Amino acid sequence: MQGLGAAGLAAAGLGTAGCVTGGSGSESSGSSTLTLQSSLVDPNSSGAMQKLVDLYNERGGEASLNTVAADTFNAQLPTYLDSDNPPDVMVYFAGAITQRYGDRDKLLDVSQLWADELSEYPDSLRELSTDSKDRQIFVPTNYYWWGVFYRRSVFDQLGATVPTTWTDYLTLCEEIQAQGMAPLITGAGRDPWPLVAWFDYLNLRINGAEFHRALLRGEHRFDGPEVKAVFTEFAKVLPYFHPSSRSYAYQEAITPFAQGDAAMYLMGALITDVLPDDVDDLDFFQFPILDPGVPVAEEAPTNGYLAPARVRDPDATRDLLGFLASDEAQVIYCRDSQSSSVPTSPTADTSWTSELVQKGLDLLGVADDLTQFFNRDSSEELQQTAYTACSRFLAEPGNVDAILAEWQAAAEPIWQDQSA
Amino acid sequence: MTSRSSSAVAEPAPAAADRRAPGPAARPRRRRGRVPGTVWVFLLLAGGVEAIWIFWPALSTFYFSLTSWDGLDAPRFIGLENFTSMARDDVFHTALRNNAVWLAGFAVGSVILGLAMAVALDRPRRGVGVYRALIYLPMVFSLLVTGLFWRVMYQPEGPVNAILAAIGLESWQRQWLADPDIVLLAVLVAAVWRQVGYVMVLYLAGLKATDPALADAARVDGCSAWQRFWHVTMPQLRGVNTVVAAITVIDALRTFDVVWSMTGGGPYNSSELLSTYMFRQAFTNQALGYSSAIAVVIFVLTLGFIVFFLRRSFAEQK
Amino acid sequence: MTTSSPALRDHTVHRRHRRRVERLRAVRFHALMAPITLLWAAPVLFALLISVRSLDDIVSRGLGALPTSFSLASFTEAWNAGVGRALLNSVVVTAPTVVLELLLGSMAAFALSRYHVPLRRLILAVMLAGNLLPPQVLLVPVSRMMQSVGLYDSLLALIVVHTAFGVGFFTFVLHGFMRTVPEEVTEAARIDGAGAFTIYWRIMLPLVRPALAGLAALASTWAFNDLIWSLAVIRSGELFPISATMLSFSSQYLTSWNVATAGAILAALPTALVFFVFQKQFVSGMLMGSVK
Repeated sequence: MQGLGAAGLAAAGLGTAGCVTGGSGSESSGSSTLTLQSSLVDPNSSGAMQKLVDLYNERGGEASLNTVAADTFNAQLPTYLDSDNPPDVMVYFAGAITQRYGDRDKLLDVSQLWADELSEYPDSLRELSTDSKDRQIFVPTNYYWWGVFYRRSVFDQLGATVPTTWTDYLTLCEEIQAQGMAPLITGAGRDPWPLVAWFDYLNLRINGAEFHRALLRGEHRFDGPEVKAVFTEFAKVLPYFHPSSRSYAYQEAITPFAQGDAAMYLMGALITDVLPDDVDDLDFFQFPILDPGVPVAEEAPTNGYLAPARVRDPDATRDLLGFLASDEAQVIYCRDSQSSSVPTSPTADTSWTSELVQKGLDLLGVADDLTQFFNRDSSEELQQTAYTACSRFLAEPGNVDAILAEWQAAAEPIWQDQSA
Repeated sequence: MTSRSSSAVAEPAPAAADRRAPGPAARPRRRRGRVPGTVWVFLLLAGGVEAIWIFWPALSTFYFSLTSWDGLDAPRFIGLENFTSMARDDVFHTALRNNAVWLAGFAVGSVILGLAMAVALDRPRRGVGVYRALIYLPMVFSLLVTGLFWRVMYQPEGPVNAILAAIGLESWQRQWLADPDIVLLAVLVAAVWRQVGYVMVLYLAGLKATDPALADAARVDGCSAWQRFWHVTMPQLRGVNTVVAAITVIDALRTFDVVWSMTGGGPYNSSELLSTYMFRQAFTNQALGYSSAIAVVIFVLTLGFIVFFLRRSFAEQK
Repeated sequence: MTTSSPALRDHTVHRRHRRRVERLRAVRFHALMAPITLLWAAPVLFALLISVRSLDDIVSRGLGALPTSFSLASFTEAWNAGVGRALLNSVVVTAPTVVLELLLGSMAAFALSRYHVPLRRLILAVMLAGNLLPPQVLLVPVSRMMQSVGLYDSLLALIVVHTAFGVGFFTFVLHGFMRTVPEEVTEAARIDGAGAFTIYWRIMLPLVRPALAGLAALASTWAFNDLIWSLAVIRSGELFPISATMLSFSSQYLTSWNVATAGAILAALPTALVFFVFQKQFVSGMLMGSVK
């Protein structure tokens, strides 16, 4: 996601359809080893994945792990879904993108798995993993939460208390700024998805999750009054951002946050991945409520696995998926990756989780609705337009009308293509 | 990639003995009419590899540019629709404009600096070798590594801002890669930094081939150093100028790595070039038809410049 | 010396004066060039400085500060985190690529420069044109074609595509050199009964050896520094050559500036070394690249 993703290139992806060539890939056709394709590059997560694969092999399976950069992975995904010799299982996330692949018959039907092993999962997860043809095409294995993260020691030193309403929150920002510290920081540099989280949350709090999802589907307008209202509130926090936010990628922004140069960071629980050592000092609070009349929604991105429809050995692939979805495997991944994500399985052991994670689980537990994230609820393409709109807004808040009009104009052809 | 391009043109070939006329007169007479089979094999090996892996894919891209294709299902033929949507695409316009700025900045920057360095380091002196080596060292770095080095330089708390603070120019400090007004320029500096050494080497060779007697005569006539340079030396460098121009133009049009690694085209498309936009369309958005159409535009622009330079250089030879 | 004539004395004075002017000029020259060159080397110097600092030092005092710590640990970490393997991959790709490019290029150049191949000028122009195509035009189809022939995700795919892309250029340049070899040389061999291959291998290649050396230096940096083709035909992380590895490496170590720059320096080191050792060939290679 972050960084120089160019890798994307790899993409070379390219589907295999069309005129130039016929079928593809003859390489490993003889072997029966399953390939598990992952984009989890950080050492903890990739170590956890390797441990899962080793365990699977110990128990008589035959699988190998292939880890590539996230951009490369995303760029290659469509190719693999249409290739004759794709990786058998891929680490991916739930949401609209996955469902669209399912609608186009590109994903392996795992309904049987849902009927057996995953039968106890909540309906919300089942719905999230189901395409429009009523097939389950995704196996969710963990999820995490978002919140406004801060360091207890910094808040103590500032004499700050956790705000619950938007007004309190703005007051707190002002007080912190008066003490000479940047109240907020975000990663709005290359790939500014942390900035898009601000849009997501303000829209959820002001217009609600139903509207948010419909907007991302193209049923409302970005230049309509509802979105305008979101940006009116957004403008109120702009003065409080650490000035270097505009240059930083999401991990880079963590350094000033960890150093005590900035007080609060709206981020996913994955922040614990990057934050060195003193995780114990880390805490978070719920994104403040703006309109008590709007049902409370939280972002709860869900990760898991999918398989291409054209895998060589669907039964073996389902076997691997079943293993990865087991309580044991979910716990191993969540614990070893140290990413503060939690198992989706209702029966999985969560006694090992930290206080912070428990608090995150509680947050999601009482929420009225859950969303995934901007791209997961729409498409990578639409998220590109959100990057443009939000980062331009950060630089030129006065031009909001023009920015939103352009956003709408950029989004329309994308929605058209998707409905075509 | 610097100079794959290079090839293009012109003349001052130190190694070539009978460069003068490519015309029939210079062509060896006694060549045999019959071409042996071995020779055909020689030619077919190279030509075949290139035909299969370069020309055929190039033709495919032309076809894809007329389709709508997301990589998942077969491409769907849509005629020129990709090109008409391009006409309405603001980001494409930004990229096109940035490409023009990039082309001008890259060419002017590296040519002026490269020429200046060459003139300064032309005469053999103690230490000249070290200076030359350091100035063309960046050339051997990949554009990616160049991008990484400069990304460090441009960090908000990085060396560039630290140096400005140290010499009392705090007001000049910027968020170099986050400010839409200067980001393109900031990336350009990195690209020019790498290219100058190359241009300098070309001009050094060109200067070596100039006739010192002419400059001496001009000195005796009382011409100033600038006049001597402009009216005596420069005209003798015409051949090199064409080469340098061709190289920088072609390199400028295919620039990708350095922008991609430093900014990815951001913030909000302000450093977008055609190559980065094409890349994003292809590999982030999976708009493979549209991205092929952008690739075709890049190709047409490049071709235009190549033809322009080749014709000029042929015209000059006559 | 004691009884030097006035004329001679004049001359000495003049010479001394000239020497003083020379020295003054030299001082001025170095006073100007030394800072410029230092500025030029600054990005590399800063990268070196950052790579030997500890992360604590960088985080607490900023990227632009002078080091208060020294350690080569970042280099070890970068090397072990995949940079070492990637460099090896790059070498494995570069060496055969250079040999193939020059071999095929010189063969075609030989054919076109020594024989009446019909349409030879057109063929030469078309082959060169292939090299001038922007690589972006080719990415998508090349990648798909590699998949369909089963070469995708192998270093061989990379060697093939590099060679195909470079061969037109080397044919063009070597053609220029071979044309300058007098016809009599090869004609004499032919009359002695030498076949085309013998003439090419025994006579032509040795004659253009200096050109081959320069072009080899040039070709090796191109192949070594490539990014875009590796991304197009390789998918496994462990097969990525250096540039592609650096791309994910630098995002993975985004906040560990010391390790990220150490990686960049390691990535730059091989070409820098080749450059300093073979500076002459290099410069001549660049000139050939341009001049022909």
